[in-house]
Order: sequence, then C-alpha cells, then structure tokens
Amino acid sequence: MATVQEAVRPAAMQQAQPAIEVSHLTKAFYDSEGDRVTLAVSDVSFSVARGEFVCIVGPSGCGKTTVLRILAGLEEKLSGTVKLHSATPPAMVFQEASVLPWLTVSENIAFPLSLKGVSRARQDARVRDMLALTGLAEFATARPHQLSGGMKQRVSVARALVDDREILLMDEPFGALDEQTRLVLQQELLRIWETTGKTVVFITHSVDEALTLADRVLVMSPRPGTLISNLTVPFERPRDVVEMRRDKRFWDMTYEVWRLLASPARA
Amino acid sequence: MSAAPVTLTEDELRRLKAPARRERLFRIASYFSPLLLLLLWELSSQFNLIDRRFFPAPSAIAGTAWRMTVSLELFQHIGATLRRVGIGYVMGAVPGIVMGLILGLSRPARRVLGPIFAALYPVPKIAILPLILLIFGVGDASKFVVIAIGVFFLMFYNTMGGVMQTPQIYMDVARNAGATRFQTFRRIAFPAALPSIFTGLKLAAGSSYIIIAAAEFLGARSGVGFFIWASWQTFAVSRMFVGIVVISVMGYLTILALEALERRFVPWAKH
Ligand SMILES: Nc1ncnc2c1ncn2[C@@H]1O[C@H](COP(=O)(O)OP(=O)(O)O)[C@@H](O)[C@H]1O
Ligand SMILES: [Mg+2]
Repeated sequence: MATVQEAVRPAAMQQAQPAIEVSHLTKAFYDSEGDRVTLAVSDVSFSVARGEFVCIVGPSGCGKTTVLRILAGLEEKLSGTVKLHSATPPAMVFQEASVLPWLTVSENIAFPLSLKGVSRARQDARVRDMLALTGLAEFATARPHQLSGGMKQRVSVARALVDDREILLMDEPFGALDEQTRLVLQQELLRIWETTGKTVVFITHSVDEALTLADRVLVMSPRPGTLISNLTVPFERPRDVVEMRRDKRFWDMTYEVWRLLASPARA
Repeated sequence: MSAAPVTLTEDELRRLKAPARRERLFRIASYFSPLLLLLLWELSSQFNLIDRRFFPAPSAIAGTAWRMTVSLELFQHIGATLRRVGIGYVMGAVPGIVMGLILGLSRPARRVLGPIFAALYPVPKIAILPLILLIFGVGDASKFVVIAIGVFFLMFYNTMGGVMQTPQIYMDVARNAGATRFQTFRRIAFPAALPSIFTGLKLAAGSSYIIIAAAEFLGARSGVGFFIWASWQTFAVSRMFVGIVVISVMGYLTILALEALERRFVPWAKH
C-alpha cells in the first residue's frame, strides 16, 4: 500500500488538490512459462478531483481492471506515479462476485468494520444504515446463495460504503446484470453519491452507463491500454437515469464515444 | 399438489408425478435391500448351504451380541477403542489443520516444508506400527500416536488443498478491507477451506478405525480390535462377527455425526 499512497497532505491543503493523480502509469505482466511479456497499461495519466465521479470506458482486456487494482494497492505498478490524497485507503467494488459465502448479508457488510475492532453497537448501526441505503433491509440475515445477482452487487456496494472511505473504486459493478436492474442500481448509486460526496472512479465497458453516471468520461484504447480521450459530461444533477435519455446531447455524446472506441486511430 | 394449474388433465398429472413416485419406491427399496442380504445369509446358514463354523447365522450372532451387551462386556471394549480414536484423532487433526492453513497461505512455507510432508506421507501408517510400539510402548500412547499420524496427513493435505483453492477474489476483499495476515487466515482462509476440512475429517475418521483395529490386533489388552483378534484366536466366530459389526457401526455413526456437524457449520456449501 505504501507505494500507492505516497502522500497524505494536511487537511488545509486538501481542498485545492485532486483526490487522485496518476501520471505515466505503465503496467506489464510477465508469464515465466511462456516467457511472454504482456503490456497491459501504457503511459496512462489522469487526475480526479475531490468529489468527482469519473468513468473509464474501454474494450475488455484494455487494462481497466489493472488500473483500478493499482489504485487500490492490490497490484504493483511497473512505472509512473500514483498519488492518492485521502486519509483513508480507497474502497473497492469488484468486477466478479465478491460476497463472502460463509457470512450473512449483514456480516458481509460489517466485514471491514469487524476487522478494526469497531464496537458491536456501532457496527450494527452502520450496517442498518447501509441496508436501508441499498434497499437490503429485508435480507439482513439471508445467505449469499439465497440472493439474486443484483442483490449480491448491492451487498458489495454496501460493504464498500460501510466504513465511509473517501475514495470509491468500482470495477464494472453492474456489468453482469440485466438492463432493468442495472438502471435501478445506477439511479441508487447516483443518489448515494450525491448524498455522500465521495470521489468515485467507475469502470464500465458500457458507453451508455458511463454517460449516465459520470462528470467526466475517460476513454481507453485496446491493449496496451492508454487514454485516448477525456470528455466532460454536461448533464445537470441530480440526474434521472431514464429521463436523461430524452436529451439529444446524450445521443450525440454516445455517438462520439462510439466513434472513438470503434477506431482509436482516428482520435 | 393443489397448486397445480387446473388445465392439466388427470393423466398429465399422473405422468408429471411418475418419476417422483418411482424415486420414492427406490428409496424405500434401498432401505430393505441390505436386510434381504441378511435374510439370505440367515436361510443359507439354517439350511447348511454355507459353513456355519465360518458364517454363523445372523440370529446366532445377534444372540451373542445380546448376551455380551447384557453382561456389559462389550462396552468396556467400545469405550477403550473410542477413547484411543478420539484422543488420537484430535492430536492429529488440530496440527494437521493448522499446518495445512499455514502452508496453504504461505508460498515460501509450502516450497520449503512441503517436500518433507510429501516424503513422509506415502509411508503406510500400519507399517510403522511396530516402530511406534517400540518407542511408545504397548500402552495407549502408541495408539494415540499412530492414529494421530494417519489423521494428521489427511487433514494437512485436505486443508492445504482447500486454502489453495480459495478464490483470489476473497483474498482481495480481505486486503481491501484492511485485514491483517492473521485476520485473513482466520476470517477468509479457514472458512474457505472448511468444506475441504470436513472432507478430510470424514476420510480421517474412516482411516482411524482401520488403524485402531490393526493396532489393537497387535498390542492391546482391550478394545474392539483386540476383541476381534482374541475371538479369532479362540475360534469364537460368533463373537468375532459381533466385533466386526460393532466397529463398523462405530465408524458409520462417527461419519454421520461429522456430517451433522458439517451441515451445521458449513451451511453455505451444497451437500
Ligand atoms: N495477473 C495477470 N497476469 C497476467 N496477465 C494479466 C493479469 N491481469 C491482467 N492481465 C492482462 O492484462 C490485460 C488487461 O487486463 P484487465 O485489466 O483485466 O482488462 P479489463 O479490465 O479492461 O478487461 C489483459 O490482456 C489481461 O490478460
Ligand atoms: Mg476488467
């Protein structure tokens, strides 16, 4: 972790500073059996302001997960610098199902708190809030295998929110869900973000999802992934994930991003 | 069921339910098929179709078992065997699970210490029984040790396998949540390995009874194994059969108990 969070600045300076600064980030994997080097991420630079909601879109295999895992300190970078200006380590919502099957819904949500010796009463209160926030109140004592895919993702989101970290990293959290469930969860995520003011980096391969959620969209090229565009999304907040589709600009931007993704060389 | 849609005809319903009904019949039959074997044995023995000196009628064996139960003679042997198996089992299982967790989680430990266990594991436990008797004497200590050795390896390999199969994502969740190494060990590796640990516990229970029977044949003055051997030596075949049935039932009940524990402690795994 120490390599990632290189500096935690005093509170007075934080206002002026971005929450995340990534510059010239490069990551390669080495497969010793095939003696093969895979360049996953190449020379990526971007920054995220405090309280900003940024989406990264790109084709699968372009290194989105790798970037996020490096931000989370779960992966070593090869070169470049990554600075997180936050008092707490970032919380992660993983791409694949990550709910612990041996714990109930409540216990899963409480997991980060339970590791830090937080009192039972405080844990219970936080879990109750998270259950309400994510619409899981009826499922508090359910086991993960009794839940639908959408419910499990809600649990993962609740777990990432429970200890109130400043930065939230989300790796295609709704990627495996059906369209309706996804819309519902997107709307809820926006509501939660609007009330908590967290800094969010959200990965998706869906242009539609990126435009629905983000203040800014970073577009990545196919592997080795590098940033090919940085678009500001103009829609006002709070957003209605269905209504905003009546806005012509939504479709203009969709077209623009698709054009970038379809032919990175043109950008 | 009454909830069936009214649009289904009687015949359709009958065909719909036929496989379930057949399955019930099979299940009932499955309870009785072993009894059929007993019946066949009883009749063959009564009509002298098999040698009664080697295969006394089940009714005769049951009579012997009853007399031994009433005289409390059996319980002393059962108690001795249970005590040896119980203590040896725990002595082997606890370190086996702990070492399995450690080597499963730590690649360096696995690389360095793994070969030691791999070299020792293939030695048949019964082959080293004379050595163990030599070191620990003919008392109970030698029985504890030989069972513990057998149980240790099964628990070690099953636990290590379980930990190594833990999906990486659970480790990542723990790390992102800020877990210490010990917390990862206790909150992630252990529960993730629990289904494999129970597989090991059941295998180890079976092998404990094999080992204790052999150990009691060779060097004991009590226990079900000793009782079987002593009956053989005096050609008390009926008594020998009682011993065989008793030790089989003990093994069976132990496995049933472990399965009940498994359902209680691993409710998330499919059984
Ligand atoms: N642990 C790893 N070992 C080897 N190659 C990896 C590893 N993780 C990712 N890669 C490779 O890096 C590239 C980017 O992967 P990833 O970041 O998961 O892409 P995305 O999330 O955009 O689909 C892929 O080619 C993938 O095969
Ligand atoms: Mg990915």
